Amino acid sequence: MIRFIIADLRRLWLGCAVVVLLVALATALGVAVTLQERSLRLGSARAADKFDLVIGASGSETQLILSSIFLQPAPLPLVDGELLSKLAADPRVAWAAPVGFGDSFAGYPIVGTTTTLVTSTTPGFGEGRLFAAEGEAVLGASVTLPVGAVVKPMHGTAETGGPTHTDIAYKVVGKLKPTGTPWDRAILVPIQAVWHVHGLGDEPEHEDGGTEPAATVASATHDEDHHHGGIDPDAPIVEDFGADTPGLPAILVKPKSIADAYRLRQAYRGNGTVAVFPGEVLTGLYATLGDAKMVLSAVAAGSQALVAAALVLVTVIHVGQRRRQIGALRAFGAPRVAVFLIVWLELLLLVALGIGLGFVCGLLAAQFGAHLFTAKSGVILPVGFTRDDVRLALFLLGFAAVLSAVPALLAYRQSPAQALRS
Amino acid sequence: MMPLKVQSLAVSFPGLATPVLSIANLEIAAGSRVALTGGSGSGKSTLLNIIAGLERVGSGHVVWGGQDIARLSEGRRDRWRAENVGLVMQDFHLFAGLSALDNVLLPARLSRVSTPDLVKRAHELIETVGLKRTGQPVETMSRGEMQRVAIARALLRKPGVIIADEPTASLDVENGEAVGDLLLSVAAGAGSTLVVATHDQRMIERLDRRIVLRGGCIVGDDVVGKVPV
Ligand SMILES: Nc1ncnc2c1ncn2[C@@H]1O[C@H](COP(=O)(O)OP(=O)(O)O)[C@@H](O)[C@H]1O
Ligand SMILES: [Mg+2]
Repeated sequence: MIRFIIADLRRLWLGCAVVVLLVALATALGVAVTLQERSLRLGSARAADKFDLVIGASGSETQLILSSIFLQPAPLPLVDGELLSKLAADPRVAWAAPVGFGDSFAGYPIVGTTTTLVTSTTPGFGEGRLFAAEGEAVLGASVTLPVGAVVKPMHGTAETGGPTHTDIAYKVVGKLKPTGTPWDRAILVPIQAVWHVHGLGDEPEHEDGGTEPAATVASATHDEDHHHGGIDPDAPIVEDFGADTPGLPAILVKPKSIADAYRLRQAYRGNGTVAVFPGEVLTGLYATLGDAKMVLSAVAAGSQALVAAALVLVTVIHVGQRRRQIGALRAFGAPRVAVFLIVWLELLLLVALGIGLGFVCGLLAAQFGAHLFTAKSGVILPVGFTRDDVRLALFLLGFAAVLSAVPALLAYRQSPAQALRS
Repeated sequence: MMPLKVQSLAVSFPGLATPVLSIANLEIAAGSRVALTGGSGSGKSTLLNIIAGLERVGSGHVVWGGQDIARLSEGRRDRWRAENVGLVMQDFHLFAGLSALDNVLLPARLSRVSTPDLVKRAHELIETVGLKRTGQPVETMSRGEMQRVAIARALLRKPGVIIADEPTASLDVENGEAVGDLLLSVAAGAGSTLVVATHDQRMIERLDRRIVLRGGCIVGDDVVGKVPV
């Protein structure tokens, strides 16, 4: 019977190929949507994993997370720098680190932060060492610059195209191991350097007298001329932040325990500040993501239904055209069950092949999408099948089995004499 | 070897006023070789389909060696036919993409009765019908060769009756003669009852008995030779 089926399929290979491709396409669509959405969830959750609590000035919590964890360039309101020393002194806090953004180099965001944050949130150095002086920089794993390179910060991002801070340059002294987060695409420098570049803090070459305490390092709206600061590349890094610490877009806090985390979040809510668990914000984003997935899934399901209907139609017509062959099989002694099985298996085989191919194509498409996303954002999206997908595959196969039975039943009921006459 | 007895058979199709076939009584002795003739549309194919168990019998009896196949269910009739009837049709009904051997064995394989012995018999039969290459795909064969494969297929399970519907009509004269001779000789060799619907004069003359149909009724039934053409 297998040989007969194979001979039959080979004879009708073009039609078979179309059926397989159609099924594959419809399946791939659904699979890609599912995989992409799941990997986006997992990947973003993983990216936020290292950051327990983020504190910033009151405003959009989502933007705070997007900017501090996903390093999305956007102006953030600033919190008073004093808050940092207050947090550092809080017994519930393991460590608290400021982050400052706003500059970029070769399309990579430059993030000012502390040695504590770098050592606590990364898996160590692939090459070189941590910055030890004001003019030194450390690269995320995905930054395609060599150790020893010179980084000239440009204000804003490559897209917004601000001016370079001409006379300022960092020297790259190390490269981190990959973390799978957007921070892999960042150039990390001491936060004091960021302040000095922008003419903030207690730098010696203060030109404009610090008349703009709220001058934001993250804001793209401020006046460029006002902070031509400079850095002293060999100055040691000072990380005991006092009362004169400039305003900060975000502070990343590591609480000592989970209970402390909740207490801290409570304590730093209101009064001009917000304290956010990244997971919370992501959950909100996932809801939106879920809606988008619903729409896409509906589209995919619609296409699958269309393909299924088209398949039934095509095979019913096909069985009609094969009346002679099917009738002859029975006339010459094949049992009706065999005829049923042949038609059923032939179609099921094609559909199963299409489903298999669709799963592979869906996986490849999702991986491709994830790749693009990683290249753009640095977030590594783990694309892969789970038990749910196995269940989906089984369901689709079951459905195909039932569907294929329709033409098979038609063939089963055909009178051999009538078939031979035509 | 099976005798046939048909009684008060009437076959009509929906939409037709008169029955396509009405035969009060017809007996065919076991092992005899019968020609079925008559004009186009006279009911030859219908009668063959009925006695081969391909068509459901509306009213009447079709008794093969004690078994009234009119009483059998569809599935049992299929099984009975597979075991007892060798069919040869005008258009061969071979399956493209399969070799001669696979075509001969296909019905047996689909019925799950294929054994090594049967495969051996298939090889022998292909040789008997005058073909050399058992592995040749049937779509590459000439029409005469195709009908030989069909004859080998009909003989595979040593049927008690061979039913052929215009087996030579779609062949040229030369091939027609050869295939006609082959059919007669294999039927004789197997001792099977042979019923052939045909217009082929040469074939008719070589059969023992000639039944003439017109409008679904038997209008002539004689030993060949006594009936003028
Ligand atoms: N399924 C059917 N429905 C209606 N009429 C049929 C059907 N099958 C055969 N007939 C009619 O029965 C008559 C006998 O047909 P057939 O047995 O094929 O004749 P023959 O084989 O002698 O040429 C024809 O008139 C044909 O039109
Ligand atoms: Mg006919």
